[in-house]
Amino acid sequence: MKLESKRLLRGPNRWSDLTLLEGIVKVDAADAHDACWARLTAEYPELCARVFAGAPAVKGSALFWAHVVGKLVVELQVLAKIDVAFMLVLPLDAANEARFVAEYLEEATAERALALAVELIDAARAGKVLDLPAEVTALRKLNEETRLGPSTGAIAEAARARGIPVRRLTDGSLLQLGYGAQQRRVWAAETDRTSAIGEAIAQDKELTKQMLSIVGVPVPEGRPVESAEEAWAAAQAVGLPVAVKPRKGNQGKGVSVGLRTREAVMGAYTIAAKYDRWEQVVVERHLEGADYRLLVVGGRLVAAARRDPPRVTGDGTSSIETLVATENLNPLRGDDHSTSLSKLRLDAIACEILAEQGLTKESVPALGQVVVLRRNANLSTGGSATDVTDIVHPLVARRAIEAARVVGLDIAGIDLVSPCVDRPLEESGGAFVEVNAAPGLRMHLEPSHGQGRAVGEAIIDSMFARGDDARIPIVAVTGTNGKTTTTRFVAHLMRQRGLRVGMTCTDGIYVEGKRIDTGDCSGPKSAKMVLGHPSVDVAVLETARGGMLREGLGFDWCDVAVVTNVGEGDHLGMNGIHRVEDLAAIKAIPVRRVSTRGVAVLNADDPLVAAMAPLCPGTVIFFSRHAESPVVVRHRASGGKAIVVSQGSVVLADGRLERRLASLSELPITQGGLVGFQIENLLAAVGAGWGLGLPLEALRFGAETFASHLGTVPGRFNVVTHRDSTVILDYGHNASALLALQEAISGMRHRRRKVVYTAAGDRRDEDIIRQAEILGGFFHEVYIYEDQCTRGRADGEVLRLMREGFVRAEGSPRIIQLTGELRAIGAAIGGLEPGDLLLCQVDQVELALEFVTGLFRQAESRSLSSLAQLAAAALAALGMMGG
Amino acid sequence: MQVRNVVALKGPNIWANFPVLEALVDLGRYEDLPTDKLPGFTDRLMEWLPSLIEHRCSEGVRGGFLQRLRGGTWLGHVLEHVTLELESLAHLPVGFGRARGAGERGVYKVVVRCDEPVFGEACLTAGRELVMAAAEGKSFDLASELTRLRAIAEKVCLGPGTQAIVDAARARGIPSVRLTERSNLVQLGYGKAQRRIWTAETDGTAAVAESIAQDKELTRKLLRSVGVPVPEGRVVASAEDAWAAALELGLPVVVKPQDGNWGRGVSIRLEERAAVEKGFQIAANEGSGVVVERFVPGSQYRVLVVGDEAVAATGGEADHIVGDGQRTIAELVERANQDPSRGRGPSHVLTTLVLDDISLELLRRQGLTPKSVPASGRTVVIHYNGDLTVDVTDQLSPEVAASCALAARTVGLDIAGMDIIAEDISRSLESQGGAVIEVNASPSLLMHLRPLKGEPRPVGEAIVDHMFGADQTGRVPVVAVTGSRRLDTVASLVGRLVSAAGYETGVVDAAGVRAGDHWLERGDVSRRAGSLRLLLNPLANAFVFAVTEKSVLEEGLAFDGCQVAIVTDVVEPPPNPELDGPSHTWRALRTPVDIVLPSGFAVLNADDPATVSMTKFVKGKVMYFARSLAAPPLADHLAAGGTAVVLEQERVVLLKGRVREELVDAAALASADARGLTVTLEDWLPVLAAGIALGMTVQAVQSVFSNEFDGRPARDPEREATGAATVG
Repeated sequence: MKLESKRLLRGPNRWSDLTLLEGIVKVDAADAHDACWARLTAEYPELCARVFAGAPAVKGSALFWAHVVGKLVVELQVLAKIDVAFMLVLPLDAANEARFVAEYLEEATAERALALAVELIDAARAGKVLDLPAEVTALRKLNEETRLGPSTGAIAEAARARGIPVRRLTDGSLLQLGYGAQQRRVWAAETDRTSAIGEAIAQDKELTKQMLSIVGVPVPEGRPVESAEEAWAAAQAVGLPVAVKPRKGNQGKGVSVGLRTREAVMGAYTIAAKYDRWEQVVVERHLEGADYRLLVVGGRLVAAARRDPPRVTGDGTSSIETLVATENLNPLRGDDHSTSLSKLRLDAIACEILAEQGLTKESVPALGQVVVLRRNANLSTGGSATDVTDIVHPLVARRAIEAARVVGLDIAGIDLVSPCVDRPLEESGGAFVEVNAAPGLRMHLEPSHGQGRAVGEAIIDSMFARGDDARIPIVAVTGTNGKTTTTRFVAHLMRQRGLRVGMTCTDGIYVEGKRIDTGDCSGPKSAKMVLGHPSVDVAVLETARGGMLREGLGFDWCDVAVVTNVGEGDHLGMNGIHRVEDLAAIKAIPVRRVSTRGVAVLNADDPLVAAMAPLCPGTVIFFSRHAESPVVVRHRASGGKAIVVSQGSVVLADGRLERRLASLSELPITQGGLVGFQIENLLAAVGAGWGLGLPLEALRFGAETFASHLGTVPGRFNVVTHRDSTVILDYGHNASALLALQEAISGMRHRRRKVVYTAAGDRRDEDIIRQAEILGGFFHEVYIYEDQCTRGRADGEVLRLMREGFVRAEGSPRIIQLTGELRAIGAAIGGLEPGDLLLCQVDQVELALEFVTGLFRQAESRSLSSLAQLAAAALAALGMMGG
Repeated sequence: MQVRNVVALKGPNIWANFPVLEALVDLGRYEDLPTDKLPGFTDRLMEWLPSLIEHRCSEGVRGGFLQRLRGGTWLGHVLEHVTLELESLAHLPVGFGRARGAGERGVYKVVVRCDEPVFGEACLTAGRELVMAAAEGKSFDLASELTRLRAIAEKVCLGPGTQAIVDAARARGIPSVRLTERSNLVQLGYGKAQRRIWTAETDGTAAVAESIAQDKELTRKLLRSVGVPVPEGRVVASAEDAWAAALELGLPVVVKPQDGNWGRGVSIRLEERAAVEKGFQIAANEGSGVVVERFVPGSQYRVLVVGDEAVAATGGEADHIVGDGQRTIAELVERANQDPSRGRGPSHVLTTLVLDDISLELLRRQGLTPKSVPASGRTVVIHYNGDLTVDVTDQLSPEVAASCALAARTVGLDIAGMDIIAEDISRSLESQGGAVIEVNASPSLLMHLRPLKGEPRPVGEAIVDHMFGADQTGRVPVVAVTGSRRLDTVASLVGRLVSAAGYETGVVDAAGVRAGDHWLERGDVSRRAGSLRLLLNPLANAFVFAVTEKSVLEEGLAFDGCQVAIVTDVVEPPPNPELDGPSHTWRALRTPVDIVLPSGFAVLNADDPATVSMTKFVKGKVMYFARSLAAPPLADHLAAGGTAVVLEQERVVLLKGRVREELVDAAALASADARGLTVTLEDWLPVLAAGIALGMTVQAVQSVFSNEFDGRPARDPEREATGAATVG
């Protein structure tokens, strides 16, 4: 058994809407399956009982091992306390290979779980045993380290519960909440509205006290000091006992409290000075009472906890050391943030505190005697938290809110020392000792005692108004042909509305009309870039098959999913997809992820696309070139919407209601209604605009102003005329596209038809032959070429297959064979005669477009030279005539 | 000449509507020796301080003060001008001063404008010494004295960037309050309308965005994802990895710390393995991770983005020295550092040149050491990232400006300094392979305020405009109540009226300081300190301050403008020639009237001629109150369409020109609940007038009056509060 490949499906994908680890296993006949299986069962009986449940009966098969690996990935994660369950096994073409997909939550953990699964099997095969409990612990640790911490995790969870998309921007706790221009950010318990000035004030305890006194919030008396001597003087001035703390600092580091002696104060000074960059130290009157933490979020008190320092209670017989060890057996106490209590530490600091109490580790405290091990109550050093939210006196809450406000923090953890929290501070004598930016939330989420509080929800509610899910409209466009034109068309419609459009397509990423990335950007990474861009009001995402297979969708839900067509398909035979039905299942992924309020815009004329309608959680708008299409008629009969061509006009039909958009002859992209596939693209785009709620007038204006030319949709049916000849530049490279082009060209005036073409090498033989067959049956002259990049095929093979197709074709075209795209185009243009129509299939779109338009520009200005001479000169200039 | 006593009046006062220093100066024997009787005095003075020629003085023309010196003037007056000149030379230009006799022979009050008393006093002391030296024909080391004063200014005064923001706010009528003595933390606006700045950070600058900007790798990732050009690069783990990265990226490269600022630890244009590895060590010493980036050719620029706009751009050149064929590089560096515009810290336009590890490496690559003597005219680069000193705002291309604004928005900063490398700032970055190499939070503003070449840019104005909408002034209603008698009673009642009208009101009167229903201090505390404390309170949206004569004379006001100033009356004390000169009572009580905002009202007692005489100093409108229509100024005032609140036949009426509306019955006033105060009928007149002056309608005043002062037992809202309060 060998792991052939693996990948992470990070978004909704062909198998599920979960995040999945996908892998392919390959078995070797020589594998000793039974021995391996028996050893696994013997060594890890409990794990294997779960893993082998439901496994295929035949143990040696690829499907069996795919099951074992996939199930191991799930079960190992479960052992590491990760809540996953989904697993699926699928056969592949080769009988000795099979695919599994297994759910995961954290990428690093998933990868490690898979590696561990393989290691377990390999070890068993080699007769070795792994220390499974240790491996599981390591896996759990890895998960703890890589997943979001408890505070940020709670915020992320609260956001998701409100339907707000959450994306992690770093390995740490920086989150993007929402999409595009609607996005907000949080970093731990700070929002993007948490003021840096507020944070700086909070970090300076002395300045914080000044600020608090502005609004009359009680603060302990005290002052900053610059030496140990001065600290003692200040201590005597404010009255003993005192607290000594660094002027700036956090998490209680370097803080000593309850100091009564000169030595203690001066010693505490030295400790505190270490924690302040400028060695500034504050001496304050020690306040009697408990430590309370009040959490203020957006002008509301949302939680309060009493924090008790770590301590043990004597039983009259055990030493402090034993008491600590016993308490640390408490399962609630852990080593990390995953438990509500941390382990008690009997370290140097604890020993100092013990010494102050006249004790050592070995002392045996009396029954009921409380021994504290730390002066501060931080959870990380073993303190405990008790929720007291419900008993906070309203005036105490009000003071805390005022304190947060005057410091200038939207989220603040306010430390109160007071005998109680259920009476006003004036009565209790309590005072606020500190205000913390980015406060830890763990003590409120999972207090050691009392009720957990929904502080993540409170933070999200403070950031987003009720009903605001921080989303921007997302249009996903998929299909075999017409995606790019439709995508650009939809983007055009939205731009007409004054919206800032983010668009991804096969020739780049565009935001507000500016290209910010080049190349094929029809995958999930590009989608995420657009959705993370702060200036995007609406996203129009070309969503191609490749990216969905590779990684899943780049978004969770969309508002509109457009499927242009599946037709005869493309890329068949790749990734184990042989049938157009399988391809249709992939193109249906965005349809499955249309939100309930959203719309799928589906081609009623393509049965595979029309059949996707039931998958859509929202509503469906069908589009069709035929008003009488049975699919459309049925849909309308049940009150559905459709956009159709009726008597030469585009009509928006809503049940029985019909509204005319415009006559096809008024819509430039259809070339007077002649180009059938452009009509389909138009219907799809207008359908998307309708789905997003654009009014009829806006749709009409948008449709009337969108033409397919080099500037708007380069390489997509760009018609260039030169004197009496016509050149069409198009990217089409599959049978469906060629048939559509053939239909379009048939409606255009011309004498002879010529084409420049090559088939992509990574298509099936039959597809390449079929493409040539179509070309041969339609064109009079075919310029074929092979490019440097033959995508995995031997030199000459693509041309051989094409020639095979030409033989089968009905016509008998003249075949001209050349090397290189530009040379073929150059030769074809050089040979143009009046009345000729040349279809140039452009692959290196920008290069080819520049070449062709350059030639024509020159031809216009230098009328004496023939196109042939210009083409030859241009190719020579590019250094292409030599070879 | 002795300075007997110095008082800092930190707000509007009897001399001016801004802070001044008031010194009591005893000329001693110089009372009989004005300047024309002191041989050589004027010449010595003018030699030390030639810029005194600019002082116009009472002559109102350039050289006016010089004329006075030559014609003979007293040293108190000279001290005033010299102190102002020292303030100007050591820090910022100031122009206001007064010298007036203090009643006693030979004793003067010398008054100079001064924002920071520590600095002002230092200038005054130095000024006294300078004047005495000139008078006694002694020498005076002005240069070292100015160096000392500059050091004090740098320590105690606002930094230049912050000062520019504060000045811009003031120019828009937005008040400012410095929140701490030494830092640049400043509040703009009062109470609930306040915003804060701290150097070039606003209270809208997000801590999260600052953290992002600190992390160069994260910043680059975010910028790249929105299409802002950034240099290719990656984090490296070791010196070896740094070289590997350099080869992947293509030479030359830049090696720099992952976190950090101000170009510390950054080595530029490295081509050899040894240099890259050395660069790694230098960057690693900064304590964070290390990044290797493709070197972007071109010059460095800094573009300042405020809000969503690039408002200024500065270019510069590498730190370099030019050889003279005689001095070593080390000597040339030392010589360059003697330029007073060089120094460390934010108030220097140029930074001190240092020969650190990076420079030594750079020299090595030029085949030089600090001991090399470069040929005359040879330029030797010490540091690639030098000072930015040339304003290029006008050349900035819209595309680069848009890239910078997008970068700031992407990082999330409202104010950001973008470090850019480009061959030509007037073309898009994409067109020339330029890049944004760093995003700085809290950028220095100095390079835009004081470029060595080109025009200074109003970046303080841009920041203030970003923080305050065109219609925002940072102000909330302030009612100042002053007078010789009854002011505390009136203030207390106005406070209740304003609170009852729905304001979260801060009140200072003889009883203490309270915000809403919460006492901050009890007892007759410092009026200025109490008022200031309230103005800082971000919850309060109206203020009523009882201002005593004493507090104006001894402290100055806490606020620089008020919506309503009420003067109850003016009672001059009996003359006492043994004290410090003529009475300032009237002038002190007029001080709040002087700073009534143009949209505001002075509410003046028409029955008291001394109060009425303040009328002509009001910049807003005047409203009189009077016990009867017979009060002298009323007839003309009403005829001109003015407003007055008058007791008329058992009723208080509001008169507006010829329109008459009844406000409250005298009977209701007599039985009104005054919470233990002894209130006369007349006390109510300015209270009701204040309500009208604050824009309340007659109906609103009546209804608030009857609800708040209806004689029922007082409510104590503190006791009634339930549930977690929400403060909006």
